[in-house]
Amino acid sequence: MAAPDELFCWEGDWGLPSVSTDCLVVLAYAQFAGAPLKLRKMSNPWRSPSGLLPTLRTNQKESLTRPSDIIIHLRKQKYNADYDLSAKEGADSLAFTSLLEEKLKPALIYTFWVEPKNYVDVTRRWYADHMPFPLNFFLPGRMQRGQLEKLRLLRGDEGLEAGEELEKELYRDAVECLNLLSQRLGSQKFFFGDSPCSLDAYVFGHLAPVLKSKLPNSKLQQHLKSLDNLSSFCSNILLLYFPQDGRETFGPKTSCSPAAAPEGGDFDHVPNKRRKQVLSALVALGAMLSYALLTGMVSIQQEALQPQPQPMTIGSHEDEDEDN
Amino acid sequence: AGLHRVFDLFTSTAAEPWPESATLYQPLKEDQILLSDCASSLAVQAYLRMCGLPVQVVCKANAEYMSPSGKIPFIHVGNQVVSELGPIVQFTKAKGNSLSDSLEDVQRAEMKAYMELVNNMLLTAELYIQWCDDATAAEISRPRYSSPYSWPLSKILAYQKQWEVRRKMNAVGWGGKTLEQVYEDVSQCCQALSQRLGTQPYFFNKQPTELDALVFGHLFTILTTRLTSTELAERIKSYSNLLSFCRRIEQTYFEDKSS
Repeated sequence: MAAPDELFCWEGDWGLPSVSTDCLVVLAYAQFAGAPLKLRKMSNPWRSPSGLLPTLRTNQKESLTRPSDIIIHLRKQKYNADYDLSAKEGADSLAFTSLLEEKLKPALIYTFWVEPKNYVDVTRRWYADHMPFPLNFFLPGRMQRGQLEKLRLLRGDEGLEAGEELEKELYRDAVECLNLLSQRLGSQKFFFGDSPCSLDAYVFGHLAPVLKSKLPNSKLQQHLKSLDNLSSFCSNILLLYFPQDGRETFGPKTSCSPAAAPEGGDFDHVPNKRRKQVLSALVALGAMLSYALLTGMVSIQQEALQPQPQPMTIGSHEDEDEDN
Repeated sequence: AGLHRVFDLFTSTAAEPWPESATLYQPLKEDQILLSDCASSLAVQAYLRMCGLPVQVVCKANAEYMSPSGKIPFIHVGNQVVSELGPIVQFTKAKGNSLSDSLEDVQRAEMKAYMELVNNMLLTAELYIQWCDDATAAEISRPRYSSPYSWPLSKILAYQKQWEVRRKMNAVGWGGKTLEQVYEDVSQCCQALSQRLGTQPYFFNKQPTELDALVFGHLFTILTTRLTSTELAERIKSYSNLLSFCRRIEQTYFEDKSS
């Protein structure tokens, strides 16, 4: 039996298995298709084979980072959640995925990375809290610049800046997209019948972070919450396929969670708190000690164990030190 | 920004009838225009013909710079300038012309989704083939794009545009694709369109909508444009209902054109 492929993805929070849309899409698809994956949840993208998250490391030591590539790979391994779709449903699936990419994704990038309040209070804070030293100083800023650049290229406008006008345009497209998705879903459990497929994974991946995170500027979130069928669609998937991650929202804690229980509120949960405290203390102590040694406040006197050729010189040297 | 301005003007000008002097601007047809721009322009022309709105096509070398959003084509109607198919559809709707009013909500959702499919896959593939495939870029795209300008401006503008498109391809995740993968994506897109069309004359009922105009614009242009390889046209030709769809629209709405 071949070893399962390894999936490196972002850690989870807010009741989700992961905070990143692309990771959620891959995780959801893997659950729907029953693909066994060895999960490596982390908050340091530099530790993944490709430097980006999500990354799938296959048995042939290939690294795939695009969700569509990962899904195609899993399909080739016979883990196909779209197996039961008719040809027309497959075509609709492709069309609605394109709708998500063109109309909703720019608004999501804006909401999490460009809108100033959301970025500072939620996104940057989460990444800075969870990334190890010293990445937490520069990597969130670099990611933000990358996302802004991406938004500029998607819109074809090099001078794009955060602002009310841009927000209105993007949110108008996104609201229309959400309404269209809601109309298509209707009162069904999943988009095509009773079992979920890749479109369900894409929709879940895009909507779940908006639904679950606590954003200060939350117009998109409010609209999504007002669409009952989409909200219950996401909650349903969390309940059925990610029960241990949804434990914060859904009642009694299960005992199989390996992560430490949250200390205090969500915002105060800093991972590896004890380790960081000890490390800070050690660094401070080391800094003070090296300052003392270098300026000569403290000196280390070396006792000679074997007879020295000129004992007189060393004796006068020691005398001078004692005078200080 | 252009979209926002256009919506502001709607309330004051919705009542005005469509003038005879409406013009559509695009780059020079013989020497300059590229596949993707030609497809977008043909889509708008088809849409306006389907609505029964007359428009004159004017070719200008600097059409791209005249456009409010930088994209081709754009129309000049009365004292407004609107670019790209989406905003133009909204604009004509405000004037009382719409092809998709009779659709039900679920159908309208599908129509919009399939239009995004064409934009997301077909248009992106066209841009990729034009600017990211070295052979096509060197033989066709760069010379054509810079043909109205003299050296060294021609070289600068051509390379600038190529660099801009390549950055966009990277941003949407197409940067790492091979040409073969792009052709596969085009096939997949055509298969989805062919599936949706089935044996019907148009995508929704017996009446054409903006989706039909958009699909016609892209497919017809690909079929009738000479590129470095015929692979792209071959991929479309394998779907016979799409071919007869293009022929039908050409005969119904463009029969007065000699091409």
